[in-house]
Amino acid sequence: MTAPGAGEHALPRSMAAHRTASVVAALCGSIFLLFLVAPIARWVVGGGTSGVGELFTDAELRSSLWLTAVTATLAMAAGALGGTPLAYLLARRRFRGKAVVAAVLDLPLLIPHPVAGIALLLVLGRESAVGRALLHAGIQVAGSPIGIICAMVFVSAPLYISAAREAFARVDPRYESVARTLGDPAWRAFRRVTLPLSVRGLIAAAVVMWARAVSEFGAIVILTYNPKVASVLSYDRFTGFGLTEALPVAAVLSILALIPLVALRALRPERGAGLDV
Amino acid sequence: MRIRSLVPGVLAVAASCGRSAPKSAGDSTSAGALGGTIVVYTAASVAIPIRAALDTFAAREHVTVQQENGGSLDIARKLTELHQIPDVVVLADYDVFPKLLMPDQTTWYADFARNRMVLAFTDKSKFASEVDSANWPTVLQRPGVQLGRANPDLDPNGYRTLLTMQLAEQYYKRPGLYDKLMKLSPAKNVRPKEADLVGVLQAGEFDYIWSYESLARATKLRYITLPSAIDLGTPEDTAIYAKASVKVAGKTPKDTLTITGEPIVYAVSIPKAAPHPQVGEKFVAFLLSPEGRALMHAAKLDALGTPVIIGGGAPASVSAAASAQ
Repeated sequence: MTAPGAGEHALPRSMAAHRTASVVAALCGSIFLLFLVAPIARWVVGGGTSGVGELFTDAELRSSLWLTAVTATLAMAAGALGGTPLAYLLARRRFRGKAVVAAVLDLPLLIPHPVAGIALLLVLGRESAVGRALLHAGIQVAGSPIGIICAMVFVSAPLYISAAREAFARVDPRYESVARTLGDPAWRAFRRVTLPLSVRGLIAAAVVMWARAVSEFGAIVILTYNPKVASVLSYDRFTGFGLTEALPVAAVLSILALIPLVALRALRPERGAGLDV
Repeated sequence: MRIRSLVPGVLAVAASCGRSAPKSAGDSTSAGALGGTIVVYTAASVAIPIRAALDTFAAREHVTVQQENGGSLDIARKLTELHQIPDVVVLADYDVFPKLLMPDQTTWYADFARNRMVLAFTDKSKFASEVDSANWPTVLQRPGVQLGRANPDLDPNGYRTLLTMQLAEQYYKRPGLYDKLMKLSPAKNVRPKEADLVGVLQAGEFDYIWSYESLARATKLRYITLPSAIDLGTPEDTAIYAKASVKVAGKTPKDTLTITGEPIVYAVSIPKAAPHPQVGEKFVAFLLSPEGRALMHAAKLDALGTPVIIGGGAPASVSAAASAQ
């Protein structure tokens, strides 16, 4: 102990500061968590029991939950299929107009959702060229589950793309370069190196997209009111019958949605885990 | 621009998606003008005429207007379930007052305007150049015609559509017409409220929609009027309307409720727990006065020559305005 004074005083002080910071952070975190959880807990507790009970008796509720799960999952798949290459390009390549492309991809997030529904109708409805071609092929967009999926993809894919882009950006490009110098073609380098390293981020992106798709209402109700997804059904029950009928729908949706959310979040691919920064 | 013409319908939908009730601090009432805020919940189909009256009132009294538009049942639920109380409630079906809002929310309401069912369409609608008040049952059944309607379980316009189609079958003596018209507007052609149909019609997805004359005029749609025996717009035909009835959802999804045909009458009231009752009272008195009636007429709403107050406890100024000529 050559310089006792300075050392002994500095350490406790920094520790005290550290402890204060931890307490403040924990307090802020708890309040925020409460803010997020309290409303959900309120309706799950209020409507959970009757909601789960109604699962057995209410065929409309069951079919709307099924429809929601299937359409949101297909929307997520479409978002992942179409969005992943786009996200990769945005993360890795430099090209003219990149900032514009990135901004345009964020646009659906700031368009009011009923307007988004009308915009989709103008592009995919039976009056449009695309809609006419689809109808000719026997595919009806408005008033069908395809309309639901279109609305879901439109409002939620930007979330996937921006999160996936970050996931790719976190992977050091040198790993890819090494694989390429070892003789892997670009696609193989992506599949064997970049994809495994970013897969956790991609899954997280897909989870967010799925959850956003499940919650969509405004755009869906313009395109496809019937058959009803869970968000539309809970709105319907609220307007038609009041809170007591609407709560169980919302509660059971939250309870059931927790399962895939927890399952996907729990996925920790080993190769990604070690290298994730 | 095409988009601009879609705005009213879209806004009506957006408004119904559950916004929270605006709360305001205490009113600062000055000597001449009232000042402060007025919160008005309006049935979407009369949002535009009520807005016209509100604008004049607001300019005169220096009040800030907060108008929320939605389906009549939407609005009633906001009061009864969410306890969001406005200063003035305007509903598309006077019947909603006794059924859902009396006596807890209010003890009276004033019938103040009529409306009638019409078939609205645009220039792009199939057979738009041929359709008229006489041939519509035939024209609508031509191939490819898409007919939109509102949900009868949620919206007065939705069940009025069913009543009108039933009355049409009787009036034109064409058995099976109701079923045929229903086939033209299957579940996929249903939207929650009549205001939601406007945007979808304008986007070209529907050729014709069942609507109200006030809404068709306010959103500048083309429309055909129907014979008075089926359009629910003529109080003298009340006995004919009563021959039609439909079953809609009742208090729970498992119950049903039978609704019998009646003339379409709009009604207004002031909730007991209105946050700014003085401003509300002054506005309703203005709306029901000869001047308010003229403003609504100018904004294409068929205001009653003499508003009728039902129930007890209406403010004296409101009663006086309603009986003034």
